[in-house]
Amino acid sequence: MSMFKDIPVDVGVIYEGERIRRNDMQVELGGPTVKEKFELAKVKPMDEIEDGKITIIGPDIKDLKEGGAYALGILVEAAGATLDQGLEGVIERRIHGYLNYIEGFMHLNQRYDIWIRLSKKSFQKGLNSFESIGKVLYRLFKSELPIIEKVQITFITDPAKVAELYPNAMQDYESRDAKARGLKDEDVDKFYGCTLCQSFAPTHVCVITPQRYSNCGAISWFDGKASANVDPKGPVFAIDRGELINAEKGEFSGVNEVVKKRTMGEVTQVWLYTAFDHPHTSCGCFEAVAFYIPEVDGFGVVNRSFKGVSVNGLSFSTLADSTAGGRQIDGFHGMSIEYMRSKKFLSADGGWNRIVWLPKEVKERVKDFIPKDVIDKIATEENATGVDALKSFLKDKNHPVVARWAAEEAPAAEAEALEVKEEAAGTMMPVATAASLPIMAGGFKIILKDAKIYANKVIITTVKSEKSEKR
Amino acid sequence: MTSKNVHVKIDEMKTSTGLIKNLEVSIGKLVNDNWTEPMGPTPMPSLTALRDWDMKLLNKYKPFYMPDCDLCCLCTFGKCDLTAGKRGACGLDIAAQSSRIVLIACSIGAATHTGHARHVVDHLIEKYGRRFPLDVGGLNVKVEAPVTRLVTGIKPETLGDLEEVLEYCETQITHCLSAAHTGQEGNNLDFESKAFHAGMVDQVGMEVADIAQISTLNFPKADPEAPLIKMGIGSVDTSKPVIMCIGHNVVPSVGIIDYMKESKLDDKMEVVGLCCTAFDNTRYYDRAKIVGPISWQLRFIRGGFADVVVLDEQCVRTDAFDEARKVHAPVIAASEKNCMGFKNRTNDPADEIVADLVSGKVPGVLILDPEKVGEVAVKVAKQIAPIRKKMNNLPSIDEIKSLAKTCRQCNLCQRSCPQDLIIPAAIKAAAEGNLAPLTDLYEECIGCGRCEEACPVKLQIHSFIIKAGEKFMLEESNLCRAGRGAVQDVEIRNVGSPIVLGEIPGILAVVGCSNYPHGGKDVYDICREFASRRYIVVTSGCSAMSAGSYRNEEGKTLYEEFSGGFEAGGVLNVGSCVANSHIAGAAIKVANIFAKRNLRGNYEEIADYIHNRLGAVGLAWGAYSQKAASIASGFWRLGVPVLVGPHGAKYRRMLLGREDKPEDWDVYDARTGNKVNVGPAPEHLFQTVETPQEAMVVIAKLCIRPNDTWKGRSIKLSHYVDLHKRYYGCMPQDLHLFVRTMADVPMTLKDEFTKILEAKNWKETVIPDPTLLPRMIRKMKE
Repeated sequence: MSMFKDIPVDVGVIYEGERIRRNDMQVELGGPTVKEKFELAKVKPMDEIEDGKITIIGPDIKDLKEGGAYALGILVEAAGATLDQGLEGVIERRIHGYLNYIEGFMHLNQRYDIWIRLSKKSFQKGLNSFESIGKVLYRLFKSELPIIEKVQITFITDPAKVAELYPNAMQDYESRDAKARGLKDEDVDKFYGCTLCQSFAPTHVCVITPQRYSNCGAISWFDGKASANVDPKGPVFAIDRGELINAEKGEFSGVNEVVKKRTMGEVTQVWLYTAFDHPHTSCGCFEAVAFYIPEVDGFGVVNRSFKGVSVNGLSFSTLADSTAGGRQIDGFHGMSIEYMRSKKFLSADGGWNRIVWLPKEVKERVKDFIPKDVIDKIATEENATGVDALKSFLKDKNHPVVARWAAEEAPAAEAEALEVKEEAAGTMMPVATAASLPIMAGGFKIILKDAKIYANKVIITTVKSEKSEKR
Repeated sequence: MTSKNVHVKIDEMKTSTGLIKNLEVSIGKLVNDNWTEPMGPTPMPSLTALRDWDMKLLNKYKPFYMPDCDLCCLCTFGKCDLTAGKRGACGLDIAAQSSRIVLIACSIGAATHTGHARHVVDHLIEKYGRRFPLDVGGLNVKVEAPVTRLVTGIKPETLGDLEEVLEYCETQITHCLSAAHTGQEGNNLDFESKAFHAGMVDQVGMEVADIAQISTLNFPKADPEAPLIKMGIGSVDTSKPVIMCIGHNVVPSVGIIDYMKESKLDDKMEVVGLCCTAFDNTRYYDRAKIVGPISWQLRFIRGGFADVVVLDEQCVRTDAFDEARKVHAPVIAASEKNCMGFKNRTNDPADEIVADLVSGKVPGVLILDPEKVGEVAVKVAKQIAPIRKKMNNLPSIDEIKSLAKTCRQCNLCQRSCPQDLIIPAAIKAAAEGNLAPLTDLYEECIGCGRCEEACPVKLQIHSFIIKAGEKFMLEESNLCRAGRGAVQDVEIRNVGSPIVLGEIPGILAVVGCSNYPHGGKDVYDICREFASRRYIVVTSGCSAMSAGSYRNEEGKTLYEEFSGGFEAGGVLNVGSCVANSHIAGAAIKVANIFAKRNLRGNYEEIADYIHNRLGAVGLAWGAYSQKAASIASGFWRLGVPVLVGPHGAKYRRMLLGREDKPEDWDVYDARTGNKVNVGPAPEHLFQTVETPQEAMVVIAKLCIRPNDTWKGRSIKLSHYVDLHKRYYGCMPQDLHLFVRTMADVPMTLKDEFTKILEAKNWKETVIPDPTLLPRMIRKMKE
């Protein structure tokens, strides 16, 4: 390891995911027994940073008693000509990734919740100072994120100092979150595209905007910005969003152009904020899928870990199958959970006012982002397990979709009838009846006498009537 | 749902539209086709339908022959000497003859699984009816039979639907085998292509067998939390009557378990199994126990634990009866394929058979009715256990010491030992009173008994080893997760992002028999190494048992230490031999789930997808059988590389890529139509490795695929480099072949890589949308 020759232990991505048990640990930093701990990245002006400086405030690792748990603050201060505060979150998340590359060094969680363990083995090999940890961080930051021109790193183990800085860190997280959430698609001139999934779904491209996370939930607009900056030729790239063609639906000329190019013309038009007509496509690893329920003219949402059937009788896998593979399928929309926290969440279709059903677990996760006046009107599996029950629930609660029903009563009934028919075909199949014989006649009289019909193979398919489409 | 031979006769019928008199309609096949997926180009492919695809693979991975025998003695013109380029009387050379043997082995393997499937399906249809619905995983499995869909174009919904699938398999296997007749196929690559065909059909046969039994017998259904099953003779209460089932077909065992439960004897008896029957018993009944892999049959019969031995089919020692007789354990043969020379007593009253077996009037019987097998086995076990008193056929320690003195040190035992175990020295030490060297052999002995056959003074060498290792044997008590069956569609969706982002570097399937070079610990070590590295580790068959037979520092078995889910660091046991189809099935489902590729009759496209994109490797560390050959062959045709341990060299050939020939490694970029050199990814399709250390390095390397994202590639390379450094003590020298752009270089290894890349004059290239099929090149739509 020439890059880490002077580090007493090995450093490599293979150590990611390494777990250190209590019995094997030299010390614990942060973690559940320590109240105040944090890690924080700050972008600073160039002249305020001394590149490569590593500061330790409080006792170093070798001075900490074996087996104990201690307070810790990690402060990464970076500067660079193209660096702005919007990237602080991205830089901060790298701390987790990089520290885990150190053999015998386990880092869990982030921000005010960090939990670190150092193994006895690595300690005995000589990893006994934050100096070494800081060097690893420093070198990886410099080599992996060239946009960082200078970086200095501080480790704080003095409990008084940690306690003093802790409220500031909490305030930083809060204001960063508020800012990120407040950032609107209209505020930026660049979106990001991601084609990582094309390795398995060659016709899918994700468009990532400040208000729309990647489908997998792993890449935010800020992540996209950082990746595209670091490796402009890579699978995450900037999209000049271009002209705003349709503000309501979320259509941008730049997005259309890039998607057309990257999907080889399979998809030419994308509306970011709707599940109808030109919805954003899906690979296969989206976290949840929104699906149109014609009977109630609203959307259900079901997430990957939901075990049962959703309210329309179909499971996640069946619904997911309806939209995967980079296709635009009317009424189906693969997405991240984070997108549900966005103000642009299916906004063209009515947003939360159009959502009628979602699993309890998801509702709980996003409850702070559901408008107060509608949250109790959205059913979960506890309120409705079938479309009929859902209908009465929605009616009972006077969900906003109920207002849309009046004009559309008739086609909804037709859709129901269709469903019953399909089910019947699935459960019983007469071997052959007179009715199933291909004798179709309108106005003619057919007389078959002493007829013998032989067929090697007769294929019977269900004739589907056209589904009613509704907006 | 499909019906056959429909016949309708109407003498007279008046309707508003017409009059029908004496109408007879006869329909050969009535197909209810509600499956909207369009039919692909090759439903029910013939022997040659996929030949072009095979040739693409065989051109990239050329057969490298290692004839185990350079004579041919199949016809009366022979024996023909095929050494040094000579041809036989029929004109065949050694390459064609070697590949012909491969074809024969794969056909036998495919016939065995398909025959097994046929027996199971016929029996289950008789019991549950043709309309019994198939269900392999409830809501979380939408693609219930991926291999069947892919190969035959049929989407089976009921038990009856499986019959048509089996008919296809049976026809193809007949054709495959017939091509091996003298004076049929003559070209080695054509033999190879047909061997691939047999392997593909084998996967269908296996899938049919397993989904039929999962659906009807209520096995775990794609369940990551399938119960943990007790394993090892130490977990068996030998004070109770013990019924030992050996083989692969669960049907007779179901008869035993049902009868035992009905007679409320389930607390008073033990049902244990060896080989795959053990697995399927535990999928049916979680209090059944696994005592060990196929190689331990002699160990347990001679040990006298079994009061009744029930033999079904496949991998059963053909001398099991002679061995059981020596410990006075009656034998019931329960399969048409394995009658053991016994009188057929199927139609005799059960109690009569019981009386004959308990009294010793007959030592064994053939019973072809599984329910009767159940009744007889349970009654005999109950009655004979107090009489037998677990009589065994093992020498005492003193007997070993004195018998060992008769050893002439001729070394024939060691020469005949497939493991080359140093038996003579151990016998010599025993003669001198020291049993420790014999005890040491216990772990490495694979239980074939060839040493005893070779011994000129008839020493029971294998029994010596068992006795010397008896303490270990009796203490064997571990846990194995019951075979879970298929992988859920939802689980595959869950791993999509981590595979793309490289958090899961690959999928390792550790499968097959237990002809290990140094015991099962190697299998455990390999599984644990890769699960710890967050690969997905899938196990099946005897390898799944070995994986559960050792414990970590905390005393946990592999199945307790790692989750049973299809996820990073999961260790999943899919089940018995026929459950191997779910491993292929999972690979096939990836193409359907992420790329929405149609499966129906669309083999070539999906194989191309899997070959170029899915970082999966099969390891059959102790493969011995013809079934193992056909299982491997099914994976070759899908383009999935397979490794075998040292005994695998006896499969006669490898399929090796040539990393030194850059022209072999071009793919089309489906986006542009350009040819892109992607390097040897994966490098080989079938390879023998000699040590577990070598296997680990090769596995890490064989997970590399042309479609890897830079993140995925950099993590795959990190593992390859780390294992290579650990076991070879240096950086691999072929890294330049696997780096497309600098982003592929693992971030902590930049300096080391840069040195190698510079020395090898490396040039940057692109990451294509890879395919070997020109028809998959996409055109820009306007």
